[in-house]
Amino acid sequence: MSRIFFIFDEIGGALLFLKEILGGLVRRPCRWKDVVDQTWSVTLQSLPTTAMAGFFVGAIMAVQFTLQLRDFGALGYLGGLATSGTIREIGPLLIAFMLSGKVGAFTSAELGTMKVTEQIDAIRCLGADPFQEIIQPRFLGIIISSSLLLGLGLLMSIGGGMFLGGIFAGVTSEEYLRHIPTILAWPSVVLGFFKCLLFALILATICTYKGYMTIGGARGVGRSVVETAVSTMVAIVVMDWVASFLAEIVFTLVRETL
Amino acid sequence: MIEYRGLVKRFGAKTILNGLNLRIEEGEIVFVLGTSGTGKSVLLKNTVGLFRPDAGEIWIQGREVSKLSEHDYLEVRKVCGMVFQHPALFDSMTVYENVAFGLRRFEELSESEIADRVKESLARVHLKGIEDKKPPQISYGMQKRVSLARTVALNPRILLFDEPTTGLDPVTTRAVNHLIFELSRKMKTTSIVVSHDMECALEIADRIVLLDKGSIVTQGTPSEIKKSEIPLVRGFLEEVLA
Repeated sequence: MSRIFFIFDEIGGALLFLKEILGGLVRRPCRWKDVVDQTWSVTLQSLPTTAMAGFFVGAIMAVQFTLQLRDFGALGYLGGLATSGTIREIGPLLIAFMLSGKVGAFTSAELGTMKVTEQIDAIRCLGADPFQEIIQPRFLGIIISSSLLLGLGLLMSIGGGMFLGGIFAGVTSEEYLRHIPTILAWPSVVLGFFKCLLFALILATICTYKGYMTIGGARGVGRSVVETAVSTMVAIVVMDWVASFLAEIVFTLVRETL
Repeated sequence: MIEYRGLVKRFGAKTILNGLNLRIEEGEIVFVLGTSGTGKSVLLKNTVGLFRPDAGEIWIQGREVSKLSEHDYLEVRKVCGMVFQHPALFDSMTVYENVAFGLRRFEELSESEIADRVKESLARVHLKGIEDKKPPQISYGMQKRVSLARTVALNPRILLFDEPTTGLDPVTTRAVNHLIFELSRKMKTTSIVVSHDMECALEIADRIVLLDKGSIVTQGTPSEIKKSEIPLVRGFLEEVLA
């Protein structure tokens, strides 16, 4: 029972923390230079891994769909189906998992170390607001960077699918790309990129919250990093389901209206 | 002048400061001693508003500050500088940027004035030529001194030291203690030093306060403390006298 209370307490804490960040952005916004620096640093840090992850996610989807479509002689649809599935569901999810392990863990460890070594207290004592100085730039930097990285990962997944489609199923690039526009409907694209933004928001909130709330020295930092990775992944899976479910309702309503 | 009146601080069910009353006169160097977990650091963090008391009052230079908003507390922090147990330097910044950090936020100075203040503050702690280095590139003892320079750069009227010699070798410990004394006297500040170091306290303190379980056990000048028969005081003194 106490575990359940703890989970709700943490969710409430993270939401209040998000409210504090957003309120701070209105009242005392941070310097844009700091946001640009953070975005640049996060992007550079994760670009190769995200690109590689995206490429292989597309490749895995292509292999899976090939196994299904080959029996029906429908390999011509491989590109459309693999891309639609990747962009709408599996791509954002897997790439967000990767970013939570890399960006989330790094940010949580960095902020946690600043907390336990009293750097955050020092910021307050030196007349500055820690939210404005260190939380807001990281929060915005992670959102901008993760959205871009997720977008890039999805584009790379098309490349990965196309590459493996050629090798594994003998589908040419032209053939692979031909059915993408017919099968990949705009709701899938909108949903895919909405999920990228949503997952980036979840990641930025949880890792800054966990890092900022760290207590208890090196052990505390380790605990925060683990909790960040676990909470982010669980939150992303849950919100993936919520987003897909709500999107289905919205798209059905839109289709019926049109 | 700093005065604590009936100060109470609790964390959950645990009472850390239990109705503490203490008055510190202007220009005094007061050492607060006690075993771990007796509320020494909590006392300092309440003074600079990092924690807020659950009950009681904190008077700094004739003003009750414990209920001030975070924004209004900035005025208190400007006159009340704190040196932390860790050097608490910002790793991503150079020594120069670390020392200039508070100056850029508290005072409206030109870049050349900031540069002069940084140089002067580093000279006060006997450091020079390390402005362009980053904290991990200098020794721990030097980091502690840079941290001290960052605090004194703002010319505070009150200096709070939270276990300033923790983790230092005996030679650097003596140097830092000497520096605390020198700075406090030269800058004519009121200083509170939280420490376990009775030897240093006997040497440089105007008054020694001994805390236990969030309350004051005894207080007095070093010579008065030396004569104390209280077991806890004798425990601290035994190591020094031995």
